[in-house]
Amino acid sequence: MSARSSISAVTQGWRGLIVPAALLAAWALAGAAKAGNPVLLVPIDTVARAGFDAIKSGELPGAIAATMTRAAVGWSIGALFGFAIGLVTGLSDSSRRLASPTLHGARQIALFAWIPLISAWLGNGEAMKLALIALSAFFPVFLSVEAGCRQVPLAYREVGRLFGFTRTGEISCIILPAAAPTIIAGLELAFTVAWIGTIGAEYLIGSGYMYAFADGIGAFLAGARENARMDLVVVGILSLALTGFARDRAVVLTSKRILAWRPQSH
Amino acid sequence: MAPAISLASQAPHERRSAPAGIDIAGIAKSFALNGSRIEALRDIQLTIPGGAFVSLVGPSGCGKSTLLRLIAGLEAPDRGEIEVGGRAVRAPGLDRGMVFQDHRLFPWLTVERNILLGLRQLPGTEFQKRAIVRDLIALVGLAGFEHAKPHQLSGGMSQRAAIARALAPRPQVLLLDEPFGALDQLTRGRLQGEILRIWKHERITMLMVTHDVEEAVFLSDQIVVVDQRPGRIQARIDVDLEKPRRRSDPAFVALKERVFELLSAAEPQQGALTHSHIVVKENK
Repeated sequence: MSARSSISAVTQGWRGLIVPAALLAAWALAGAAKAGNPVLLVPIDTVARAGFDAIKSGELPGAIAATMTRAAVGWSIGALFGFAIGLVTGLSDSSRRLASPTLHGARQIALFAWIPLISAWLGNGEAMKLALIALSAFFPVFLSVEAGCRQVPLAYREVGRLFGFTRTGEISCIILPAAAPTIIAGLELAFTVAWIGTIGAEYLIGSGYMYAFADGIGAFLAGARENARMDLVVVGILSLALTGFARDRAVVLTSKRILAWRPQSH
Repeated sequence: MAPAISLASQAPHERRSAPAGIDIAGIAKSFALNGSRIEALRDIQLTIPGGAFVSLVGPSGCGKSTLLRLIAGLEAPDRGEIEVGGRAVRAPGLDRGMVFQDHRLFPWLTVERNILLGLRQLPGTEFQKRAIVRDLIALVGLAGFEHAKPHQLSGGMSQRAAIARALAPRPQVLLLDEPFGALDQLTRGRLQGEILRIWKHERITMLMVTHDVEEAVFLSDQIVVVDQRPGRIQARIDVDLEKPRRRSDPAFVALKERVFELLSAAEPQQGALTHSHIVVKENK
């Protein structure tokens, strides 16, 4: 990267901070001017103090860690099943005709509509939350693996035939690498969906004990709401924004590294 | 599938026996297109001697590429039999290599790894295989580009890599489906010289489909003119000019003219030509 483009990358990074900074300034001004109901529009210093306390007590870091772990575990389970089933239906026409209509139909069911059914089976504990997160991650991965495998150009597969590849060789050396961009896009999407699913599960299902602020950001938000602590609600929302942004950057950078063989589009 | 050739017999520059020829007997092939059947090839009889360089020329859509794919074993004929080196073709095999107009290199692999894939089904250590790949890269003039990815190569370089990959299992026959069709004229001319050099070096049978009459005259021992719809062999022309050929040589130009005439005669007149084979000998 040339010196000039790295400088412009930095300035462009700074430019992205203008809007959040302006919002924070407007927020601080509104607090200083005593505009609005301070219970509903919490002044910025109150939120900052609440946030500081929540970090110091370990509640907020604990909640963030719990949410991230839960999202990662649920995503892994869902991605594993999605990958395995997508591979089967993507590689075999007969299994696709057998299983895909059902799976594509099940995909249309809104994620949180599964809660009554899954909670009846698995209770209201951790298993239930993980099942819901896994389910949310399953569909994007399943769809991308199925589509990725089916879209491998015949031209590439013919090369494998000419060199006498076995089916296993064809799958490992041609189909999976060729499908990798699609599959990785599905894994990325699944992670975003699983993140939303995690917060939803934590918020809606609760933690089995009251006001468990450390049991994920979703539970943190639910507890803050129960206690009418708008300052903590805002703290929860801001930490969601920040961790979500960091998670997204990490995922994008990782997949860029994996797909480095592709020509840079810009 | 059991590999037809083992690496043990692959000491460089050492040919086991005379290269395999191709015998095509009574081949017919048709395709379904929008509910109707298109007859791509009808009653193809052709013998290609081992070690020869033969070109198939004809109007586009005349089934030349189909014939190549049948020999490769990528498709099965409706009728007839193809033998390569006396063995009937049932499926693709390592005794036949193929180069396509689109280089078909895998974009996620380096040049070296792309060529290594051609050796995947053969026995031998990684070390032996890497040595073979190094020789091939030198043979096609890509030394220094071992670790380049296909998107970093020019069209001509990609085709060189594709040729190296097709040659990796040391096939008896190399099938070339318009290999230089997508290249600019300068690169094409250079690669024509290169393929001639590789053909002499490897001493294998090469069968090339081309639209380019000059290319066919420049490279071939025999030019086969294919008629269209249904594809039939209209003429076989033996080219006895010494290689490498000079494109300005009057005999070269005269031969080019003759092939052009035959090709224009092959344009649409449906069924006018019964398959009487015109055999033109060009003696120096």
